[in-house]
Amino acid sequence: MEQFGIGLALLGAVLAALLSGIGSAVGVGMGGEAAAGIVSEDPGKFGKVLILQLLPGTQGIYGLLIAFLTLSQIGILGGSADISVAKGFLYFCACLPMGFVGLWSAKRQARASVASIHLVAKKPEQFGKAMLFPIMVETYAILALLISILAITGIGGLNI
Amino acid sequence: MAVLPMQRISIYALKKDRKKVLETLQRRGVVEIMNAKIDDALFQKMDTASAQELFHKNKSVAQQAVGILDEYAPRKKGVFSKLNGREEISLKKYEQEMQRAEEIMKTAYRLLSLEREITEQKSEIQRLQTQMEALKPWNPLDISMRFQGTAKTAAFVGAFPEPYEYDELQDKLSKALPDITGFYLEVVATQPEQTCVFLLCLKQDAHKMEDKIRAMGFVRPAAPAKRPPAQQAEWYQAQELQAKQTLEKAREEILAEVEKRDELCFAVDYYAMREEKYRIISRLAQSKHLFIAQGYIPQTAAPALAKELEGLCSSVVECTAPKEDEDVPVALHNNGFAAPVESVVESFSLPGKGEIDPSGIMAGFYYVLFGLMLSDAGYGFLMALACGIALTVFKNMEIGLRKALNMFFFCGLSTIFWGVMFGSYFGDVVTVVSTTFFHNPVNVPALWFVPVNEPMRLLLYSFIIGILHLFTGLGIQGYQLWKAKRYKDAVYDVGFWFLLLISLVVFALCSDMVPKILQIPFVLPEPAGTISGAGAICGAVGIILTSGRESRNPFKRLMKGLYGLYNVTGYLSDVLSYSRLLALGLATGVIASVVNQMAAMTGNIVVFVIIFLVGHTLNIAINLLGAYVHANRLQYVEFFGKFYEGGGRKFQPFSAKTQYFKIKEK
Repeated sequence: MEQFGIGLALLGAVLAALLSGIGSAVGVGMGGEAAAGIVSEDPGKFGKVLILQLLPGTQGIYGLLIAFLTLSQIGILGGSADISVAKGFLYFCACLPMGFVGLWSAKRQARASVASIHLVAKKPEQFGKAMLFPIMVETYAILALLISILAITGIGGLNI
Repeated sequence: MAVLPMQRISIYALKKDRKKVLETLQRRGVVEIMNAKIDDALFQKMDTASAQELFHKNKSVAQQAVGILDEYAPRKKGVFSKLNGREEISLKKYEQEMQRAEEIMKTAYRLLSLEREITEQKSEIQRLQTQMEALKPWNPLDISMRFQGTAKTAAFVGAFPEPYEYDELQDKLSKALPDITGFYLEVVATQPEQTCVFLLCLKQDAHKMEDKIRAMGFVRPAAPAKRPPAQQAEWYQAQELQAKQTLEKAREEILAEVEKRDELCFAVDYYAMREEKYRIISRLAQSKHLFIAQGYIPQTAAPALAKELEGLCSSVVECTAPKEDEDVPVALHNNGFAAPVESVVESFSLPGKGEIDPSGIMAGFYYVLFGLMLSDAGYGFLMALACGIALTVFKNMEIGLRKALNMFFFCGLSTIFWGVMFGSYFGDVVTVVSTTFFHNPVNVPALWFVPVNEPMRLLLYSFIIGILHLFTGLGIQGYQLWKAKRYKDAVYDVGFWFLLLISLVVFALCSDMVPKILQIPFVLPEPAGTISGAGAICGAVGIILTSGRESRNPFKRLMKGLYGLYNVTGYLSDVLSYSRLLALGLATGVIASVVNQMAAMTGNIVVFVIIFLVGHTLNIAINLLGAYVHANRLQYVEFFGKFYEGGGRKFQPFSAKTQYFKIKEK
């Protein structure tokens, strides 16, 4: 039972990386399909559609960030891995926002990205606006990231 | 630092000087010619569609010719050749080459026909090879495949769709045709998918024979040649050789024209310019002897151009201030610090009527926000270095690219600044290297604080920067309203909001909870809370009373007022949106440390360098993208949302829109 704490915490860290990683992989993949289609028509738009394709990729990075922060906090990356069950559960909970929001926001952002890629194909001069639509979705991934970061750094100081 | 003031320009000149005037205008590239409104029977517009079409065709033929040369003799291009911009040629050279345009076009057409020749020969060779392949099994046959028989005999030259050996087929035919006088069979070739045969029988048996063998699937070859197969194959080979020679000759001829590439490029530019000129001519008002060009010109360029045109020929140039209701095109002009972000403004929208150019105010914020999000001195240094080198080496760079690199140069400087403040140099590479390889940990202290250790502190500062950014936007809105002499609107829509928002911030700071969450060390004195509370109420009441002021109905007005006050949640979410500064800043730093840790795991210096290079390259790329898009977002949504609508039309002067060369003046 003593080791259950670190197990829970690790589960949280892994979930954050796992779910947001899946979301981003799906999202960047969708963007890539659309972007490749556009480039086959007009290779000159490569730079623009590449940026749009990459937008749903950030969730995976945020997930990695949370996973890494958790791993270093719970002492898996060096240090002593001695964590109470309660604390492990807290870490687990702290990782959830990033995991879930990362997964869903990446998928939804990808759909906005694909739409924006089509927009740029028709009106390349509207790139600035096209970029905004997917970025709007990203906000929620960032808010989730923020809460996860604050929670994880905060838990370390608790005395339970 | 503003929108360039424009003037309405009218040029009156004699028709015989039209060419001179227009060419000067095109080379100066400072006048946008508008489509003339004809309200007089004296003036007419000229239809230049057919001329434009002709020039367009010439341009694309020359373009294709350049493409052909590029395909057969690829240009040696450096990786950085894109940075170099168009080549400059002197006006004299331009005029010389211009005389030769038609001659150059002959080369272009010749190249096109050579290319067509090559394509034709290629398909001819393909065709010959297919035919030779089909003829191969017939090689042993020493008579023509058209041979029908002699006076007494009938011959069948053709193939069965199955593989037969001689004995097998002989048997089969004998059994099938027991009652004929006799036949002679020769199997020319047996292949898995067919058997080629020569069959001879008496003419009287020919019908029976044909019926039977057709039932077995016998077919005569399609289009048999007159010559015997072996000879025919030789003939095909000769043909193929000839086609190959023709192709090679055409290729050599194309290669011989390589040194004319520049001329062809020139022709592309020349015809592009003429096409543009004729597009403009169709917009002019012309009478029998006169023409009038009307348009817009930046005020600063007007006197010089007027002087030049009036010196050039007998013309009259008139510049006036545009009328209130005119759709004046917009051009931005800023100093070296702010000009780079003009393109960011432009990709949102150019300032509309009565709006100020936000580039100047935005530039500082843009660089700061970008730097905060990338926030690594090493990365910033690389960025600034790369852009700085490119900017110094490639003097001839196109203006758009120059601005973009300038922007990233400033962003790089800002990134260095924040990196030093937060003590991030390629993450924590100094500590990692000194610990792993020298066993003597060296810490580079942050000048200010380390965000990973104190995220709440950075969050607080992110919000403060956000509030400053938003207040600046709101302030600009107030300034614009004030300038437009809408004093009431300025007080109602901006003044009350400032009162409410500032009071709310102070009030929040006086409460118990907020300072504790944000770890603010100081406590405001008691009266500040009371005063700010009163201020907030005043602001809120003001907003409720004035937000719906366009409605006469008091109930509707109250509702609209309450809805207006609801916007306060919008401000809350706007401020929260700046938390991305913290999130993205941390992302860069943490991923950089992950890379360093992974690199250091093996303790091997070579592995370390490889992982370090690959990892940090990826991290720079992804975070550069993140910083760029989110800096844009904060400008577009949060900042512009407070005061900027845009909708201006871009100033598109009549100019030499060339692709390869730039005409140098003097």
